[in-house]
Amino acid sequence: MLYFLYPVIAVGFSLGIITLIIYGLGISPIEGLGTLLYSSFGNAYYTTETLVRATPILLVALGLAVAFTAKVWNIGAEGQLYIGGIAAATIAINSGWMPAPIPSILAWIGAGVAGASWALIPALLKAKYEINEVFTTLMMNYIAIYLSSYLLHGPLMNPTTLFPETVIIPPSSQLAKLIPGYRLHTGVLFSFLILTPLVYIFLSKTIYGFRLKLVGSSPEVARTSGINIKKQILIAFLISGFFAGLAGANEVTGVVLKMRPEISPGYGYMGIGVALLGRLNPFGIVLASIFMAGIVNGSYTLSMMLKVPIGIANFILGILIVLIVLGEVLISRVIEARKASFEKESIKKEKRGEK
Amino acid sequence: MIDIIIGYISASIRMMTPIGLAATGELLVERSGVLNLSLEGTMLMGAFVAFVTTYYTGNPYLGIGTAIIVGILVTLLFGVLTQTFAIDQVLVGVALNLFALGATFFLYRAIFGWYVSPVPPKVETVITELPIPLLSEIPIIGPILFNQTVFTYILFLLVPITIYFLKNTTLGLHLKACGENPEVADYLGINVFKYRYSMLIIEGILGGIAGALYTISYGTMFLDNITGGRGFVAIAMVILGQWLPLKTFAATFLYAMVEAFQLRVQAFGLVSEWFPYQFALMLPYLVTLIALALFGRKVKGPAWLGKTYKRVK
Repeated sequence: MLYFLYPVIAVGFSLGIITLIIYGLGISPIEGLGTLLYSSFGNAYYTTETLVRATPILLVALGLAVAFTAKVWNIGAEGQLYIGGIAAATIAINSGWMPAPIPSILAWIGAGVAGASWALIPALLKAKYEINEVFTTLMMNYIAIYLSSYLLHGPLMNPTTLFPETVIIPPSSQLAKLIPGYRLHTGVLFSFLILTPLVYIFLSKTIYGFRLKLVGSSPEVARTSGINIKKQILIAFLISGFFAGLAGANEVTGVVLKMRPEISPGYGYMGIGVALLGRLNPFGIVLASIFMAGIVNGSYTLSMMLKVPIGIANFILGILIVLIVLGEVLISRVIEARKASFEKESIKKEKRGEK
Repeated sequence: MIDIIIGYISASIRMMTPIGLAATGELLVERSGVLNLSLEGTMLMGAFVAFVTTYYTGNPYLGIGTAIIVGILVTLLFGVLTQTFAIDQVLVGVALNLFALGATFFLYRAIFGWYVSPVPPKVETVITELPIPLLSEIPIIGPILFNQTVFTYILFLLVPITIYFLKNTTLGLHLKACGENPEVADYLGINVFKYRYSMLIIEGILGGIAGALYTISYGTMFLDNITGGRGFVAIAMVILGQWLPLKTFAATFLYAMVEAFQLRVQAFGLVSEWFPYQFALMLPYLVTLIALALFGRKVKGPAWLGKTYKRVK
């Protein structure tokens, strides 16, 4: 119960902080929160836009849930997303001659593999040489972003407009739109309805997920029970890299329809917060990613309509993560206290029984 | 030719100052058994508040002062979460970094409202070099070592002090005991948490200054994520320096030479078709990654580094 309640409290708290900020800027909080809510879920169009925004965050967070379960702190999802985006764009542009769903499927698979191979380097460094993955993944984020910037200014540049971005991918590579006039695409459906349950089953119902959990919670027990920890680290890393790559493919084939240098406004980092907010549970992550996407989309509207400075979403993300981490302690404290009082009770009962 | 070399080495020393200060702070903290990944966030917050203070008061030393205060607040928050509340140190580190990134991103826009004016705000006065009389006149060595900001001299003093402190003082010995085996240290009557908090405060001071240097000494602007992973670089330098002050100092200098080279490549228009500017920007991260991969293999830090220590009641 407590585990479900805490994220809700954290969300409420962060909404409270938004209200305070809005109030501090001299805007009526009701108007501000109303605008925020309306521009994220107010009508069918805004709701679908929020789902479109939530998809890359969801994809990143699903992968990170797998990694964090094994206590593999992959903070390189941002870089893996960029590499995935580059791969997806390259495949989508060059396979446009094939009939409709095939190029986009190829692009997704290629992007996933590209993201996973980008994650393979820190994975090997951690598994083989025990080099802390936080440093290596972070360094590789910068390398990936500069590398894609170079590719988009050079070999992949649009030859006609000379903008640092690829050409628009051919129609047969684009993901089908679900409703005419809306940006909602099949990638959204696929991520929410197929990939989310898949990750849930993988983590909770299979031996693979169980091994990752064991490695994450008690590596000593895992070692003595014969689990190859290095292999589990590699698996956790590759899956999270694969999903981050998919997030890149989702943006290229479903939303932006080309690769550009600022393809992600920090989805790789939002995914960290969303994975923690969702308590590493795929269904919790679905809710958390929609919440995060609502804040992101709402904050754009807030800045346009009410001149609230942009970046409020980043601020909320930061506060949320700290709150969630803090919540972890409170929960364990409460559980410990309950255990202690339960033990006292049972000791008392025993004594009474003796008398 | 000699001028170019002097200029280059002098620039390397300048670039090494913030990273060296931060790395020394992190070294002390890690020796006490704590892995503080929030150093990056500490530096970023320091850079931000130093910029804001200097922008409004015109006094860069006041900016340094606020950066120190905020730096201490961030590392103390880290301390409370990881030591008093015993939460995973890596998790808290990552969380505080993202908090600093989001908070500075938003507050910068909230304070300066840059969308109104296209020109980003700049500070008027910065911390400048403070040449040491006589010593700075010495040919070659003078301009390299003795024509720097006061914080470079502080770094030069800090390294021998740290070495002496760790090697020859009882306090240093106690500190190392906290990192190697806090249970035994506690048993011997050493207050483990007191040592760890003290070191975190020192790191907060040094990290705050380190961040501030980027906005009110080397540059005059605050940009999003201006520290750009240099806090992580500083921690990587501690690993490469095998948790020894002098080796860390040397590693930092080698890193700074790469960074100074990168800046020069861009400034002198050496960027061309065969060496795109993105590769120049990428270089410091690539070098750190390769250095870690080659020399960071299975190096043994303090035995309890990064592990949560709970006192048995």
